[in-house]
Amino acid sequence: MSEEPRLLTYTEALKEATEQALTADPSVFVIGLGVSYKNGADGTTAGLKTLYPNRVLDVPVSEDAFTGMAVGAAIHGLRPVVHHGRVEFALFAADQIFTQAAKWNYMFGGNNPVPVVFRINVGRQWGNGPQHTQALYGLFGSVLGLKVVIPSSPYMAKGLLASAIKDNNPVVVLEPRWLFQTKQAVPEESYELPLNKAHIVREGKEITVVAYGDGLHAAREALEHIDGIDVELIDLVSINPIDEETIQKSILKTGRLLTIDTTNASFSVGSEIAARALRMEGVTFKSTPKMLACPNVPCPTSTALTEEYYPTKIDIANTLRVEFNKPTLDTKLSFEELHLAPLTTIQ
Amino acid sequence: MSKKLDAFKKMTLLRIAEEEIANLYLREKIMSFVHFYVGQEAVAVGVSDALTKEDHALGNHRSHGHYLAKGGDLRRMVCELLGKEEGSSHGKGGSMHMIDRSVGFTGSTPILGSIVPLAAGSAFAQKYQVSKNVTVAYIGDGASEEGGVYETMNLAALLKLPLLIVIENNLYSVNSKILDRRSKDYSVEKIVRGIGLEYEKADGNNYEDVTTKAAQLISGVREGKPAVLECVAFRHMAHNAPIFDDAQGYREEDVLEKRLAEDCLKKVRDQLFSEGESEETLSRITEDTRTKVLGEIEYAIAAPYPKKETLYTDLYV
Repeated sequence: MSEEPRLLTYTEALKEATEQALTADPSVFVIGLGVSYKNGADGTTAGLKTLYPNRVLDVPVSEDAFTGMAVGAAIHGLRPVVHHGRVEFALFAADQIFTQAAKWNYMFGGNNPVPVVFRINVGRQWGNGPQHTQALYGLFGSVLGLKVVIPSSPYMAKGLLASAIKDNNPVVVLEPRWLFQTKQAVPEESYELPLNKAHIVREGKEITVVAYGDGLHAAREALEHIDGIDVELIDLVSINPIDEETIQKSILKTGRLLTIDTTNASFSVGSEIAARALRMEGVTFKSTPKMLACPNVPCPTSTALTEEYYPTKIDIANTLRVEFNKPTLDTKLSFEELHLAPLTTIQ
Repeated sequence: MSKKLDAFKKMTLLRIAEEEIANLYLREKIMSFVHFYVGQEAVAVGVSDALTKEDHALGNHRSHGHYLAKGGDLRRMVCELLGKEEGSSHGKGGSMHMIDRSVGFTGSTPILGSIVPLAAGSAFAQKYQVSKNVTVAYIGDGASEEGGVYETMNLAALLKLPLLIVIENNLYSVNSKILDRRSKDYSVEKIVRGIGLEYEKADGNNYEDVTTKAAQLISGVREGKPAVLECVAFRHMAHNAPIFDDAQGYREEDVLEKRLAEDCLKKVRDQLFSEGESEETLSRITEDTRTKVLGEIEYAIAAPYPKKETLYTDLYV
């Protein structure tokens, strides 16, 4: 009889990676608003204060100061993991993230590592409205000197955070809140995943679908509604750098591209992927690259409006079906599917 | 050598380095945005004399003096200003990004106030690693108005960080006067003490006053009592040009005659002279320093530029 796989939620996976890093390396510490709570940082730091009272620090509501202090500590030899529960609050520390941490090694001519991790929660959550749901992927992706990853599942979350903490550069981990309760089999032992490599979720020959984060989750579910279209689904994983090699190889094979964003279409990751793909050596498209993204308005609060806002698995399936001349579906998603974070177990 | 004579020597180095670099700017095209420290030397030297080599200092856009006073390498600084490979940042930083970690000068950045949280990080690491070292952050009166500075004061007090914030109040942010930027009731001292830090105000044109008060505060800082030292000092030159800008007409208190009368270097020189130091000794220090500085400038002019391909290196470690 085979053993039941050990399932962890996304937040449990992040906590496990953090705890293992704290145990392995005394220079690692955790800092952020509420990280010392019993269920700190949505559970991603739960219980760590008890284990490491001097290395898990709650802080004043002063993002610029505590983020900058963490960057300074990294410059001077420590390995801070900074938590920002909402990206809007992280922007108070934009100078420290974008101008100080990201430029430090370059502006001093190298040999000046800044091994800091910025864990930043982003994106959709019911009822959170225009100022609590931004994702700003394009903004983070555009800042040179940062490495930027977006874990799409519990397995990815644990391995990417472990790598981020070991990396000697500033790494931003953008964590889509929408995925926090998804579950997946996650190894108990520590493991690392590359910060610069896209991951092929499903190999296929007919069309390349590039997605990340909660968009990847929706795309994975869409695969069940496309009547055998042979999709190659790529989890982008990193938006700085973008793994052009994996994308190029895929499009050379398929000649078609669909990108999925769960933020506004303007200056989106999908726009960047399409622009790069159009310039790739040897790539010719059988049809115009397609994009699914949120409309170019802020995310509203009313469910009557948000049900139009994020691309769903049915939107993705129908875009693929149109591409391959199959009849579209008019499946109506339930209120729960549209508005509540998924509790899915990811295979 | 007496402590004061040593201070005179250091202040002379800071002064002459800036004077000769300014001359160089006027003579040649040096494409590194520059803010001269002339007039404020008593602050950097006075504070540095109260530090050990292992202590850290971090600075701002006007940090040639902070760097040299901490013992930063002159040749690498001049090479950096000229954009040469041998510069302290291999030409990628320039004047506003001084660094010499070998002497504990661990970086400077020109975004106002941003160095204060970073310096708190250095102090945090010192405390975390259970050392008895301290960190100094140099900022100006303009930067002291940034929110992150006050946020960091609270954080430093809360965590009992070994951090000294030196506010060099030279009366202007660029050319904007204090009274155009702050209410008449604004009190740095009340704010700082209200947050829970120690505070002293020093005459930044007076080496003795600066170094005495810095030493007093630093003994507390070493025990985990963060502090602010505000030094009022005159900036002799324009905000960011190799010129004297009295013709601009914005100066009220610190007019040329007063700056010359209150000049920190002249004061130390006069004191040493009255205490029996010979004119010859002092002049020799000045001449030797000028010879040394001119030699380094000559060296830097002849030194090679960085290779073109280094444009793309060092973005990541």
